[in-house]
Amino acid sequence: MTPHSARTEEPGGRVASLRGINKWYDAYHVLRDIDLDVASGERVVICGPSGSGKSTLVRTVNLLEPFQQGRLEVCGVAVAADAITRAAHRAVNRRVGMVFQQFNLFPHMTVLQNLVVGPVWGSGVDRKEITELAEQYLRRVGLTDQAHKYPAQLSGGQQQRVAIARALCTRPRLILFDEPTASLDPEMVSEVLQTMESLAADGMTMIVVTHEMGFARRVADRVIFMDQGQIIETAPPDDFFDRPQTPRLRTFLSRVLTH
Amino acid sequence: MTRFVRPTPIEPRRAPVAATPLATRLTRALFPTPAMSALSLALVVFLAFAAWRFLQWALVHAHWLGHSSEACPTDMGACWAFVVARWRPWLVGNYPSSEWWRAWTCFAAFALFWIWAVWRSKHARPQGVLPGFILLPLAFFALLMGGGPLPYVAPTLWGGLLLTLVVTLATFATALPLGLALALGRRSRLWAVRWLSAAFVEGMRAVPLLAVLFIAATLVPMFLPAGFSIDLFWRAVIAFALFNAAMAAEVFRGGLQSVGRGQIEAATTVGLSHLATLRLVVLPQALAAVVPALVNIMIAVIKETTLLSIVGVSDLLGAIEIGAKSPDWIGEANILASGYVFLAAIYLAVCYGLSRYSRRLEARR
Repeated sequence: MTPHSARTEEPGGRVASLRGINKWYDAYHVLRDIDLDVASGERVVICGPSGSGKSTLVRTVNLLEPFQQGRLEVCGVAVAADAITRAAHRAVNRRVGMVFQQFNLFPHMTVLQNLVVGPVWGSGVDRKEITELAEQYLRRVGLTDQAHKYPAQLSGGQQQRVAIARALCTRPRLILFDEPTASLDPEMVSEVLQTMESLAADGMTMIVVTHEMGFARRVADRVIFMDQGQIIETAPPDDFFDRPQTPRLRTFLSRVLTH
Repeated sequence: MTRFVRPTPIEPRRAPVAATPLATRLTRALFPTPAMSALSLALVVFLAFAAWRFLQWALVHAHWLGHSSEACPTDMGACWAFVVARWRPWLVGNYPSSEWWRAWTCFAAFALFWIWAVWRSKHARPQGVLPGFILLPLAFFALLMGGGPLPYVAPTLWGGLLLTLVVTLATFATALPLGLALALGRRSRLWAVRWLSAAFVEGMRAVPLLAVLFIAATLVPMFLPAGFSIDLFWRAVIAFALFNAAMAAEVFRGGLQSVGRGQIEAATTVGLSHLATLRLVVLPQALAAVVPALVNIMIAVIKETTLLSIVGVSDLLGAIEIGAKSPDWIGEANILASGYVFLAAIYLAVCYGLSRYSRRLEARR
């Protein structure tokens, strides 16, 4: 048994639970009284104008960003604002995967090495076992024949799919996507979105920050609109897009949906 | 509005070959305007004159053979007889002649290491040569000092080019790890570690190397407790190592900064610990980025070793100066000048080779 396969169910099937999260960059109040629950298997899409705090929020979930007030519980690890320790950090990151806007693949490692380095050196998983798993995930994202290439030899869309496979290899219970298609050429966006949709279809719990409204409508269980560091509206996609309740969301939707 | 549709695709063609004759290109490069033409002419005349005078001195009027300063009666030409008669001690100093094979082994091993490094630089990762810079000096020290079946040879007897090589490598072997530790120390979470590392690096960088050497040579013995002494050779090596550790620390700091925050965040999210992130993600990228700069530090160290002769350790420069004071060769400034030209030629060959290597590593990236 590896540490990964020992899954424990969170109470109430909750994977992440944020309570009263507040964060400041010096005097600037980026996150204001954030409350958010994500159930196991749920797909949550967060959207909002740039600077609304949506990236900061998703980075707070796996403690990449410290916060000054509030507490969160992620995959059974409870963390309060004044007690963000390295141990808590690692415990959360062993259970939560992340896909970045800039891919952040390790440029000095091959694709396969990128996939196995975390499980082997971070969690002590057997190299042979994880290599097999990595090959499975590479097949799944359609990159079987690229395993021994370096990231720089791949296109942006391929790199992002490697990054998704790398996140999967840590056998996460939750994957965070921070604008995964925002730095891709338009013709490569769909291959990444398709990969993410197939993950969603398999029941992976996901929090996705994105401007891809078509994806949100097709995949999300719940869409969250953020503005000025606050959650303004939360609704299932049909209500969210067809019956926005606040003027701010209406303005936002009219800007992103008209072209 | 007119419409355009390409009927057939355009096949790629070869780029045209530049057909400008060499003479035309030279004329364009050297004589584009009257003022530039005058400058070019003046420089060409000056260089030709200087080269002609130097060749007259170095070859035409040079004295090649002889065992004392009588072989070089005039200062019209170089006194290569001095170099021919004395070159062995310049290479190995007072190392006992029965044990010279050890010194030759070191030279040969270093030459082989260097050929290997240059050869592999075409296709391998540059940081692969770094362990050699740590292991080679240790092996050299063991071989040159002796012990066990090999008779002991005190470092005070080492000299000339051998000493230059050993001090350079020893400096490298100690300054690199220490410099890396200092660079990491400046990023530490502990306030005291950060402050001490920064103070050491900035302090060393603000002091001339010669001052550090004089402190090591003259001041340190006064502070050591009675009955406790460190050989001048070791004190000089330690001074070199500490000084260059500060230089290397700044290079490493730049390398560490060149690894983006996203890399560290990605390593964190795949579950790597702080230490594993440093070892597997940050350092490999940082080291690959700084190898050319480290080679440049090495070039500086090789040239700086000549300062050792000022504090009384006989490196290559010191050995040549001692040679020019021996009763057989005493007198003419011309004799010493010939020795200096020989010294410059050796340094030029070594350092130019190194700098080509560093260029090549830079071009690889």
